[in-house]
Amino acid sequence: MSKTKGKTIVKGLGFCAAAIGANVCSVDVDTEKDKILRIRPFQFDEAYERSAMNPWQIEARGRVFEPGFKSLAVPLSLSYKKRVYSENRIPFPLKRIDWDPKGERNPQSRGRSKYVRISWDEATQIIAEEIKRVHDTYGPLSILVQGDGHGETKFVHGTHGCQTRLLGKLGEYTLQARQPDSWEGWYWGAKHIWGMDPLGQQNLQNNIIEDISKNGDAVLFWGADPETTPWGWGGQMASRICFWFTELGIKQIHISPDVNYTNAVHADTWIPVLPNTDAAFQLAIAYTWLTEESYDKEYLASHSVGFENFAYYVLGGEDGIPKSPKWAEKKCGVPSYTIKAFARYWAKHVVSIAHCNGGSFIRSAFAHEPARLEVALLGMQALGKPGANQFKFIEWALFGLPSVTPLPLSSEIPNCSPAFRGREASVKPSIIPKTMIPEAIMNPPVYWYGHIAAGLPREDQFVGPLKFPLEGKERIHMIWSDAPCWATCWNGGYKIQDAIRDPSIEFVLVQHPWMENDCLFADIILPINTKFEEEDIGTDSDNGQFNVVYYEQRAIQPLGESKSDLEAVEEVARKLEQFGGIYAGAHYRMMDEGKTAEDFMRLGFENTGAAKKMDFEEFKVKQYYPFPTREDWAELPAGLIQFYEDPEAYPLTTPSGKLEYYSTALADIFPDDVIRGPIPRWIEEGDGHQERITSERAREFPFLIVSNHPRWRVHANHDDVTWLREIPTCKVKGPDGYAYEPLWVNPVDAGKLGLKSGDVAKIYNERGGVLGGVIVSERIMPGAVYQDHGARVDPIVIGPGGLDRGGANNLIAPYPTTSKNAHGEVTSGYLVNIEKVDVFSLAEIYPDAFGRKYNQDSGVVVSEFLVEGV
Amino acid sequence: MAKVFIFDADKCNGCYNCQIVCKDEHVGNEWEGYAKPQPDTGQFWLRVTEKVRGSVPKVKVSYNVILCQHCDNAPCQVAAQGAVRKREDGLVLIDPNKAKGRRELVESCPYGTIFYNDELDMPQKCTGCAHLLDDGWLVPRCVDACANEALLFGEEAEFAELIARAEPLIEDRPQDKPRVYYLNKPKRFIAGLVVDLHADEVLIGATLTLENIASGEVLTTSTDELGDFWFKQISKGNYRLYIEADGYLTRAIEVDTTEKDVNTGPIDLYPAP
Repeated sequence: MSKTKGKTIVKGLGFCAAAIGANVCSVDVDTEKDKILRIRPFQFDEAYERSAMNPWQIEARGRVFEPGFKSLAVPLSLSYKKRVYSENRIPFPLKRIDWDPKGERNPQSRGRSKYVRISWDEATQIIAEEIKRVHDTYGPLSILVQGDGHGETKFVHGTHGCQTRLLGKLGEYTLQARQPDSWEGWYWGAKHIWGMDPLGQQNLQNNIIEDISKNGDAVLFWGADPETTPWGWGGQMASRICFWFTELGIKQIHISPDVNYTNAVHADTWIPVLPNTDAAFQLAIAYTWLTEESYDKEYLASHSVGFENFAYYVLGGEDGIPKSPKWAEKKCGVPSYTIKAFARYWAKHVVSIAHCNGGSFIRSAFAHEPARLEVALLGMQALGKPGANQFKFIEWALFGLPSVTPLPLSSEIPNCSPAFRGREASVKPSIIPKTMIPEAIMNPPVYWYGHIAAGLPREDQFVGPLKFPLEGKERIHMIWSDAPCWATCWNGGYKIQDAIRDPSIEFVLVQHPWMENDCLFADIILPINTKFEEEDIGTDSDNGQFNVVYYEQRAIQPLGESKSDLEAVEEVARKLEQFGGIYAGAHYRMMDEGKTAEDFMRLGFENTGAAKKMDFEEFKVKQYYPFPTREDWAELPAGLIQFYEDPEAYPLTTPSGKLEYYSTALADIFPDDVIRGPIPRWIEEGDGHQERITSERAREFPFLIVSNHPRWRVHANHDDVTWLREIPTCKVKGPDGYAYEPLWVNPVDAGKLGLKSGDVAKIYNERGGVLGGVIVSERIMPGAVYQDHGARVDPIVIGPGGLDRGGANNLIAPYPTTSKNAHGEVTSGYLVNIEKVDVFSLAEIYPDAFGRKYNQDSGVVVSEFLVEGV
Repeated sequence: MAKVFIFDADKCNGCYNCQIVCKDEHVGNEWEGYAKPQPDTGQFWLRVTEKVRGSVPKVKVSYNVILCQHCDNAPCQVAAQGAVRKREDGLVLIDPNKAKGRRELVESCPYGTIFYNDELDMPQKCTGCAHLLDDGWLVPRCVDACANEALLFGEEAEFAELIARAEPLIEDRPQDKPRVYYLNKPKRFIAGLVVDLHADEVLIGATLTLENIASGEVLTTSTDELGDFWFKQISKGNYRLYIEADGYLTRAIEVDTTEKDVNTGPIDLYPAP
């Protein structure tokens, strides 16, 4: 052991949470001082020969691209020490001071009341009694589990959904369905034109990077930000691919309202388009190709059905409106001469489209339309021909599928699922779509189609209508959440602040490491530790270099009285056993017949190919095993080349096996749906959305907001990391010293509004407002404003019409879903207005909110929420 | 034996890893004989800076990395009277045991890379992670964490080729002999679009001739398939830009890049009569 290194261990510092480990890092620990020394990139070849790992090489145009042997770590991982030691860690179990389970519960004061310290014993006794009471009074389905979302990825210690391991043994529970939130438009739209289960994005991506390197002319980044989104789980290989494309002379064209972090560095061309108006742009491209006959008719004849219906609509046959570049220009803000030039460029060159997840393109009203229009365009230029596919810069091992990596494939995607103690199932008999939770709580029953679990086949969208509560069952009366980020990550957020205070909700239990977001609305809070305080196993199959399974030693002792998610649920299980009956042996049963953490780790390890190379004891010593690149990776068909060459032998998973420009399934099952009809269209308004610059509402709220995956967070995670917050695009210091969430405004608009950088402004609509720190910037087009989502909630006024100091703009996102029969979130591309605010006047009006104990470097500190002297 | 740092702006993606791992190494950790802890926030032994250039839709962001230049003739060493030492490997270190109270060191650095730690009452700066190098590490933390090899550290002789085309951080201080070299330092760009607004078409292959009014130097380019043109890495100054296309009247416009990069916006050409 060298004197500066201390003891070196391995930690996966990705933040997907759903048993998708990533971002493998080395961590040096000073064991004597019980302290983390440093977090640094991981060296894959530290304990293994490079030759044994069969490193891949992509050769193209006289150049070579290689994976490298050091992990390509991201700042979110490398700064994580500050998250572990955050001032905002919950130190001990807490009870809301005016919540009395034996008397007055005061649901209305959630979000305002402070907390008192209680012991683990007292907390788990109350929880056990409440579970039993709810079971006895209303039945088990009246407990809602919020057990998904993003955060630390743990296997044995099961962040997110660990409570299902207990509740599932005690009858049932109601599950908040894990939305296809990252893929909404593709899921609800693109699946109906090209199948592509599980998520609607191209699912055959093998060797696309090599294919483009050899055959491609250009890549379109339609809202994609590979310099940001893969940071949560994936690392920086995406960045290296962009540099590689530049080296090869492959043109990178960005189409988005904002200059995202990839555009800023890598783009050859930026075409600004107003938020959620991509469909108009896309239709005008189709119009140009149709009128100039510059599309592949032969390909469409053999590879598609219903193209004539689509062409008829585009040319104006259906509604008398030709979808010409001039028509589109007014809607999307792209000059018609640019639309035409771009359409001609695309027709003449070999073009692929790259994506990550999220952003206005896919999380706006009617997002199914741009998603399937994109496929429609790819089809018109012979999708699948060499160099022309859709591919992703993220999720290269999603659901363990070997077909979704565009880079050379590994010999194994290690699967440690037997170790996983998070959510036990993604579909349960009683579910509520995440996007409908507030209504389901306040105004049951609610109805919808499909089981809403990310990854179900296309046909599932036609199942229904489903209902909550199930026939004859009670509504929700208790919430048990380990994902307290509703207000920061979901649609119509101010409404959840009402729902969670509804008198029907008798008990809100949250377990979490940090005092943030929905924690403020809990009745009991259990302090959870970070993965640095736990021993676990993990995998990283998203780095694009080498898939790896690793053993995570405990780095430091648990801080305060914190326990792991698993240990916390175990404590509750033990307490429940006092009631006997269905609760007898609860702990033994939730641990799969008395297994220990060590047993689960071992089972996880034994489920991977590493177990063929060494035993568990040796694995723990070596701490990891890297899987070599598959020997025959280069022989795998590139992208959709097989469909391109022989669509009959290699059909798509649509009913016809071809590209369906007219979806017979949508026509049959939802004949009255004019918003998500059989062919993709431009939708002006409808299904509860009036979010266009031409809408009546736009007179009052004239700007469209872009809200991307945050650059310096993973959704609501990391907002308290001091080293990130001092980066100029992370927070903006207001005149009162508070670090506000940045709000980008174009100089043209800023001039009209009298805004300058450093001002604090409110963005708002009739749903409420949030504050932001203004950055006047050319990185956003006129008419649009930009603010990342996920900023930590800091309530000024709670509930609909409310105001938030933190800048959590999901609070003012629309409540209606993507469209009537597509239940996705709408959290970007909606209308707002902006106005400058005087924070000192606001502080006079709201002295409590503005008087919270605050550290400019990290945000509101946990002690603010505790009753002093208790 | 002597080491250098190289920063290549063309390879930097602005991830801030270097700035963050510097803090990870030096905040809350004391490296005996090398450095006392760096304050948590507000001071940057290595700092990333960023600048938004141009205007919609011709916008770029340039990043730069600023750290101690480890000068061979370090102004701080002169000012420090024994509290700053130059190592054989070229690194310049402030001795934490001798520098207490030496506030003047902050002012002595023309690169702004020395900070005063009020709590410890001493000046502090980048150590090149000398404590790690002396313990067998090959590179400092900032270089280790760079995913795109934008920041390099190594033997001067091995980087001779890069050094030959590099520039210093500050142009007018050659006497300091800094050991940090900068490649592809951003200069100015002029970009725009050539269009026939009446016909509602971009003009592809239009010729652009850029004349530097002071030097008479001339550059040419032509519009691409989207009608766009770019003159990249040109010097600050006043220019005359001639725009020519077959069948169109030639136009000339004045462009001033003294203060900033310029997006000319759409340049409308009129058909020749």
